[in-house]
Amino acid sequence: MLIKRKSGQKNGELSRSKHQAVAAGLAAGVLDRRAFLRRSGLTAGALAAAGTIQLGAVRKAQAAGSSAVGPDTIVKKNICTHCSVGCTVTAEVVNGVWVGQEPSYASPINRGTHCAKGAAIRELVSSDRRLKYPMKLEGGQWKRISWDQAYEEIGDKLLAIREKNGADSVYWLGSAKFTNEASYLMRKFAALWGTNSIDHQARICHSTTVAGVANTWGYGAQTNSYNDIRNAKTMIVLGGNPAEAHPVSLQHVLSGKEINRANMIVIDPRFTRTAAHATEYVRIRSGTDIPVVWGILWHIFQNGWEDKDFIAKRVYAMDDVRKEVAKWTPDEVERVSGVPGEQLKRVAEKFAKEKPATLIWCMGATQHTVGTANVRALCILCLATGNVGKPGTGANIFRGHTNVQGATDLGLDVTTLPLYYGLVEGGWRHWARVWDVPYEWLQSRFDEVPAQAGRKARSRKENMESPGITSTRWFDAVNLPAEQIDQRSPIKAFMVFGHGGNTVTRMPEAIEGMNKLELLVVADPHPTTFAALDARQDNTYLLPICTSLEMDGSRTASNRSIQWGEQIVQPAFESKNDYEVLYKLAVKLGFADKLCKTIKVENGVPVAEDILREINRGGWSTGYCGQSPERLKAHMRNQHKFDLITLRAPKDDPEVGGDYYGLPWPCWGKPELKHPGSAILYNTEMHVKDGGGTFRARFGTERNGQTLLAEDSFSKGSDLTDGYPEFTFGVFKKLGWDKDLTEEERATILKIGGEKPDTVSWATDLSGGIQRVCLEHGVTPFGNGKARANAWNLPDPVPVHREPIYSPRPDLVAKYPTRPDERQLRVPNIGLTVQKAVVDKGIAKDFPIILTSGRLVEYEGGGEETRSNPWLAELQQDMFVEINTGDATERGIKDGQFVWVYGPENKSKAKVKALVTDRVGKGVAFMPFHFSGWYQGKDMRDYYPKGTDPVVLGESVNTVTTYGFDPVTGMQETKCTLCQIAAA
Amino acid sequence: MTQDGKTLGRRQFFRALGGSTVAVAAAVASPMGATEAQAYDPGNDETKSRYRESDHVKAFYRTNGYETLKKNMDPASTGTK
Amino acid sequence: MARMKFLCDADRCIECNACVTACKNEHEVPWGINRRRVVTLNDGKPGERSVSMACMHCTDAPCAAVCPVNCFYTTADAVVLHSKDICIGCGYCFYACPFGAPQYPRVGNFGSRGKMDKCTYCSGGPEPDFSTAEYEKYGSNRLAEGKLPLCAEMCSTKALLAGDGEMIAEIYKQRVIKRGYGSGAWGWKTAYRETVAI
Repeated sequence: MLIKRKSGQKNGELSRSKHQAVAAGLAAGVLDRRAFLRRSGLTAGALAAAGTIQLGAVRKAQAAGSSAVGPDTIVKKNICTHCSVGCTVTAEVVNGVWVGQEPSYASPINRGTHCAKGAAIRELVSSDRRLKYPMKLEGGQWKRISWDQAYEEIGDKLLAIREKNGADSVYWLGSAKFTNEASYLMRKFAALWGTNSIDHQARICHSTTVAGVANTWGYGAQTNSYNDIRNAKTMIVLGGNPAEAHPVSLQHVLSGKEINRANMIVIDPRFTRTAAHATEYVRIRSGTDIPVVWGILWHIFQNGWEDKDFIAKRVYAMDDVRKEVAKWTPDEVERVSGVPGEQLKRVAEKFAKEKPATLIWCMGATQHTVGTANVRALCILCLATGNVGKPGTGANIFRGHTNVQGATDLGLDVTTLPLYYGLVEGGWRHWARVWDVPYEWLQSRFDEVPAQAGRKARSRKENMESPGITSTRWFDAVNLPAEQIDQRSPIKAFMVFGHGGNTVTRMPEAIEGMNKLELLVVADPHPTTFAALDARQDNTYLLPICTSLEMDGSRTASNRSIQWGEQIVQPAFESKNDYEVLYKLAVKLGFADKLCKTIKVENGVPVAEDILREINRGGWSTGYCGQSPERLKAHMRNQHKFDLITLRAPKDDPEVGGDYYGLPWPCWGKPELKHPGSAILYNTEMHVKDGGGTFRARFGTERNGQTLLAEDSFSKGSDLTDGYPEFTFGVFKKLGWDKDLTEEERATILKIGGEKPDTVSWATDLSGGIQRVCLEHGVTPFGNGKARANAWNLPDPVPVHREPIYSPRPDLVAKYPTRPDERQLRVPNIGLTVQKAVVDKGIAKDFPIILTSGRLVEYEGGGEETRSNPWLAELQQDMFVEINTGDATERGIKDGQFVWVYGPENKSKAKVKALVTDRVGKGVAFMPFHFSGWYQGKDMRDYYPKGTDPVVLGESVNTVTTYGFDPVTGMQETKCTLCQIAAA
Repeated sequence: MTQDGKTLGRRQFFRALGGSTVAVAAAVASPMGATEAQAYDPGNDETKSRYRESDHVKAFYRTNGYETLKKNMDPASTGTK
Repeated sequence: MARMKFLCDADRCIECNACVTACKNEHEVPWGINRRRVVTLNDGKPGERSVSMACMHCTDAPCAAVCPVNCFYTTADAVVLHSKDICIGCGYCFYACPFGAPQYPRVGNFGSRGKMDKCTYCSGGPEPDFSTAEYEKYGSNRLAEGKLPLCAEMCSTKALLAGDGEMIAEIYKQRVIKRGYGSGAWGWKTAYRETVAI
C-alpha cells in the first residue's frame, strides 16, 4: 500500500543525514546522549540535522560483561504515556542517560510487551525536536527567552487581563498526560485563580462515558480490568479499535478469546484491525448505536433472555427501557442502522446467554451528539443481562491516555472539584478544609457575573458553583457576541498545558478564536499545532515542559490501578516539570502559599509524594484515600507477585499481601487500614474488605413510590442484608455504629459538622472513621443502591435515537431529530437549528460521504510527540483518507493520489492522500486524527520554531469536521459528519 | 518487500548491468582498499553458542504460554532482575 | 544444542509494529533500514492477517550460498550472521532471500548501496561481544546477555516468538490445540524445512 511504510523513500534533510552517518561508518566519533543533549540545547539549529547519529553506540560497551546490567546501569520504572493500558516502561540509565529499554515481564498488565509507541518511547526523552527553551512570538518571529522572563511577562499579562475582564476570561487547559499529582495541582490552581473553566482531553474522549456511567451506577470508570477480560466468554467491542488504540490490551482480549473459545463481536462502521480478529463483525451506520443496542435488547426481551433476578434486585425502572426498546423492531433497526435483524439476534443470544459477557467501548460510542445516551444504552445492556459486577463481565471502557482516568478523577473538569465533589458549597468547603484555605477567600476569587441577554446576574458564590466552559467550545467563547457567553467577559487568554491544537472540531473557527486572544501560552514538550497556525504575531509563549517520564508521580490506568512512575532522567534541555511551572506561576500570581500550604516544596518544586498525601487526605469520595506513595512504590517493587487474572497478591506477602495491583480505586480508608483496592466494581460476591461492593446509592432512596435501594442484594459478609443509603454520622447514630468510632474520629467529625454533625458523610469525614467502621460492618460506605435504567436527571432519561446533526439520511431526521437548541455550559448549543439547515439546504446531496475519524497505532492524540519520533514517523509518513473502492471508482480516484476532502462548514477542505479500501463501506470515509502542520493544502512547516517541527506533517481531520455537541458534557461530534472527496 | 518503486529500480539496474555488477560494486563500495574479496573465516569465538536459558528467557517463555493453564511452564521464573 | 528460530503467530499479530520500533530502539537502526517489518495480507478485508518478518536465520541460508565474498557465517545457535568488513554491498543476498531481509543504507546505482544490514537475532557480529565496534556495526548482543531478540520480547500480543525452536514450537502447538485454529508457523517450511506438527 503506497501511503504506508515507505521503507526507502524519504524527504528532506533527516534521512540524508542518517544515511550520511551510516555511510561514514559512524567514524565521526561517539557522542553520548547527554553530551548530545547538552550541545543541541545550545545550538539546536545547527545540530538538528545531525539528530540521528547513532547515539546508543556506547551503551553495551559501557555495560560490558556477561551480566545483563552492568555496574553503572541503573534501572528505572515508569509508565508508558501513550494510552490507558498502563504498560510499565523499564529503562536502563547510564550516567544520567537513558540508553536502553528492557521488557517489563514483572508487570501483570503488559508482561514485557509494548506497542510501536511504547517500544519507541525512549526517543521522546531525548528527541532533538523537543521544545528546548521558553520562546515568545514577536512580530511573527520566534524568539528565545529565559524562564524568569516568561514567568514575569505571562504573569503580568494574566494579572492585567484578570483585572480588566475577570478570572473567567482566562481559560485553563490541563492534560491527560499529567501525573495525578499535576492534575490535582492544576485543578487546585484554577480554584485559587477563581474559575471553573479548567478542562483536559477527557472532554473529547470519554466525558460522555463518565457522565453516562456515573449516572447509571455510581462511578464513571471502567468497572473491571484489561486482565479480567480473560474471564469473558463473550465480548462485544462497540465503537473501539483497541488493536490500534490499545494494542497491549489485545494480549488479554486474544488470550481470553483463545482460552475460553470466547465470542468476540466487533460492532463498528469500519472493518478495523480489531474486527479482523473477531468471530463476528457487525457493520453499522455511524451514529446509530442506540438503534443497534435497542435492537439487541429487543431480541433479548422478546425471548426472555434477560436476567430477571438481577434486574429485580439491582436495577431501577427497567420497564421504562422496555417501552422504548419495543419500538426498535428488527425492521426499523435495519432501516436506520443497516444491520440485519438476524445478525443482531445472534449477537443478542450470545451476549445474554454465553456469560460472563463484557462490553468494551471507546470513542466510537462516546464522541457523538448522543454520546451520553449511547453510553447509557450500553450500560443498560449490561444491566439487562446481569453482566456487571462479576468477573468476566462489565463495562470495560478503554480510555485513551496514560492518565486520562486520573486527570478526570482529580478534577481537570469544568463541572467538578477533585474526585467528583462537584461544585456545590459542600464540595468547596470540603476542599477548603483539606487545603487549609478559607472558603470565603476562595469565593472572593470568583467573578460576579452581570445580567445579560435576559439571564439573571450571578453572585460570586453562584459563579463558583456554575460549571465552566468546555474545551470543545473555548473558541466559541472567544468568537461569539459577548452577551451570548454566560460569564463576565468572553475568553481573552488561553493557557494550554499538554494538549494538542488539532484535536477539537471546527479548526477554521478555532484559528479565528486564536487570532482574537490577547494571550496564548502553550506549555508542552513540543510546540504543538498552536504554534504552526498562521493566526498570531505576538503575545504567544511556548514553555518547554518535560514528559512525565522525566518526573515522579502516579498515574491511574483505565482499570483504576494507580502506578507510581519514577523519574527516569532529568528533564531534557531547559524543560521543567508541571509541578515547578505551576508553582512558579502561582508565585508570580500571588497564591503559591495557598497552593502549597500543606505540600512540601523543595528547591522551588512541589514534591510529588506530598501532593499525593494531600490527595489521600481529601480523596474519600472515590477511595483515593488509601493509596499512599509508600504503598504504590511497594507495588512497583513487587509487581511480579500479582496474579495475572485477579491482579491480587498472595495474602501472606509482607509488603503487598492481599492487595490488588495498583490499589484500584476505591481503596477505602486511610493507608494504614490496608484496604486492597477494588479490582472489580460493584461485585457483591466479595467482602468490601476484599474489594467487593454494591451499586452506589447516589440518587436518593425512593422515586415515584419505587425504592432506589437494592432489594435482597448485598455484598458478602455485610451486616446489613438489604439495600441501604450512603453513610453519614446521622445514619451511624441510628444504627448505633457511632460507638465504634474512636474519640479522635468522633472529634474530627464533630468539628467538621459544626452545628450539623449528622450530615458529615463517608465522603467528607476527614478522619476516615466512617469508612473504617463501614468496612468492619462489611458495608460499602457509599450505600447499596440500584443502578438506574432511567436516569431522570439527564436530557433523555431513557436513551432515544437522534440522527447526527449532519445526517446522511434526511428522511429520518423528522422522526429522530436532535435535541432542541439550548444553552449549556455557558454557551448556546444550536444543534437543531444546524440540523434543520443541513436538511433544508440538501447538504447530504452535495456532501454524500459520511466522514468518521479515529486512531492509528503509530501515533497518539494530536500526534506532535509521536510524529516527532523518527522510529514512529517512518512507519506512517502521510495523512490519508480511507475511501471505499466504489466511491473512488466513481470519482476517478486512484490509490495513493492526492485528493481534496471538502467539509460542509466554513468552506473547509483538506489535501490528503487516498487510501482506496473496502475497510470502509460504500459512502463512508475515514481519516486519522493525529496529523497537523498542513492547513487546507498549505505546508506550515516554517511556522514552527526552527528545529522543532515534527518529522511528519499532514492535514488535520478537524479542519473539515463540523458542529455538534452532547447536551450533557459538550462532547464534540467527530465520528459522524459529511464530506465530499475529489481528486486533487 | 521493500517499496515497490525501490525494488523495481534495483531490479532494472541489475538487469541492465548483468554479470558485471559484482566487479563494479566491489570497486566502488569497498572503503578499505586492502580488503580482498576474501571469504570470512569465523573463529570458534565468533560461532560459539551464546543462548542460555536464563531467568529472563524463562520469563519470556512463561508469559508466552498460557500462564493460566500452568502447564509445562516453570512458574518460578518471574523475569525480575 | 538449542536452535534459535522465529515464529510469528499470525492469529495473534495485530500489526502494531512494536517489533519494528523495538528493533530501531535496541540497535539505533537508522531511518530507511528496516531489519523487521510487518506485512499484512487482505488488508481491510475479512481474512486480514499480518505477519512480522525479518531474517529467519535459515537452515543452509540461501544468502550465504550466493554471497560472492562469503561474508556469512552460522553460529552454534544457528543464527546467520555476516561480516560487514567483508560485505561488498552487491545485493545478491537480497535476491536470494525468500524473506526480503537484507537491507542497504543507500538506494543509489553503481554498487554504492553500502554494506548490507539485516537482523542479527540480537546477537551482534564477528567483533568481540559487547565491544563498541560490534554495537556500531551490528547493534547490541542480547543473546550474549542471556536475553532474546527484543522484537519478540516486546511483542504486544505475544504473537512473535523467539528462542529455542523446540520451546517456541511447543508454545505455538499449545495455542493451536487450546483455541482450535492456527494458520501455521509462517515461513518455517522455507526457512527451516519443517513445520510445527499439531
